[in-house]
Amino acid sequence: MLVEQELIERARAGDATAFNKVVLAYRKRILGTISRLIGRPEDVEDVAQEVFVRLYYSLDQLRSAEVFEPWLYRLTVNASYDYLRRAKRRNESRMADLSEQQVMMADSLAGAREQTEERQKTEVREFMDALFQHVSEEDRLLLTLKEVEGLSLKELERIYGVNENALKVRLFRARQRVLKAHKAAVADGRM
Amino acid sequence: MTSNEDSQLDELFRTYRAACPDVEPSANFMPRLWQKIEGRHSFWFVFQRLARTTMTACAALCLLLLVLNFVAAPEKRLTPATYIDALMADHSVEKTYYTEAIRATPSPEDGAPAR
Repeated sequence: MLVEQELIERARAGDATAFNKVVLAYRKRILGTISRLIGRPEDVEDVAQEVFVRLYYSLDQLRSAEVFEPWLYRLTVNASYDYLRRAKRRNESRMADLSEQQVMMADSLAGAREQTEERQKTEVREFMDALFQHVSEEDRLLLTLKEVEGLSLKELERIYGVNENALKVRLFRARQRVLKAHKAAVADGRM
Repeated sequence: MTSNEDSQLDELFRTYRAACPDVEPSANFMPRLWQKIEGRHSFWFVFQRLARTTMTACAALCLLLLVLNFVAAPEKRLTPATYIDALMADHSVEKTYYTEAIRATPSPEDGAPAR
C-alpha cells in the first residue's frame, strides 16, 4: 500500500484532505496503468480523473481499507473499459486499418535507424492496438494487466472477483487470438 | 502455436510496456479533478433532491388515495363475516341465474309451454 490504512479510513469518512493525499499517492501509478491499458497517452489523464471521481463517490462502499488497492484497480479497469468502448464506437474501422498499420510498422522497423525513438514507441503502441482489436475490450484489459502490468493471477482474482481457473481460460483464449494475429502479421512479412 | 511464437509475443508485450512510459500528471491534474468532483456533486445534489421530492409527492398521493377510498365507500370495505357467508352470497346469485334458464325452456312432459 502506498498510503496508511488510517488515511483511507479518513478519506472514507469524507475527509477531503485525506482524499487529496490518497490521490497524490496513487495518481502516478494509475496514470501508468491506464497508459498501458488504453495505449493512448493523450487521453490518459482524462481517464485517470474519471477513476478518481468514481473513487470519491464510491469510497463509502469500500468494505475495508485492506481491499483498497484491488478496489482502485477495479475502478481503473472499468473506466478504461468504458473509454475503450467509446473509442471503438468512434472508430469502428480499426480492423480495416490493421493492414495499413502493420505496413507502417514494417516500414518503420526497416528504417528504424532513421526513426526517432518516440516515433517507434508510437508505432509499437499502434501495432499492439491493432493486435488487440482481435480480442474484446474486456480481454484486452485482462491480457494487459497480466502480460504488460505483470499482475499475478491472485491479484487479478481479487480485482475481478472471478475464480482463478476461469481467468486462466479467458487469458489463454485471448492470448491465442493475439498470437494468431501476430503470427499472420509475421507471415505476411509485415513485421 | 510454438513456444518460439509465444516468446516473440512475450517480447512484444515487453516492448509495448516500454513504449508506454509512466505518464507524469500535469499541473492542472488536481484542480481539474476537484472541478469534476464538484461538477458531479452538484448534478447528484440536484438529482437526489428531485428524487426525494418525487418520492415524497408519490407517498402523499398514495396516502390521499387510501384515505379517499375509506371515506368515499365505507360499506364496501366491510367484508362478509365468514368465508361460508361469502360462498352463500355468491351461490344465491348463480342459483337464480340457472333457475331462470330452466323456466325459460319448455318441457315435453309439461304439455304446455312454461310461459
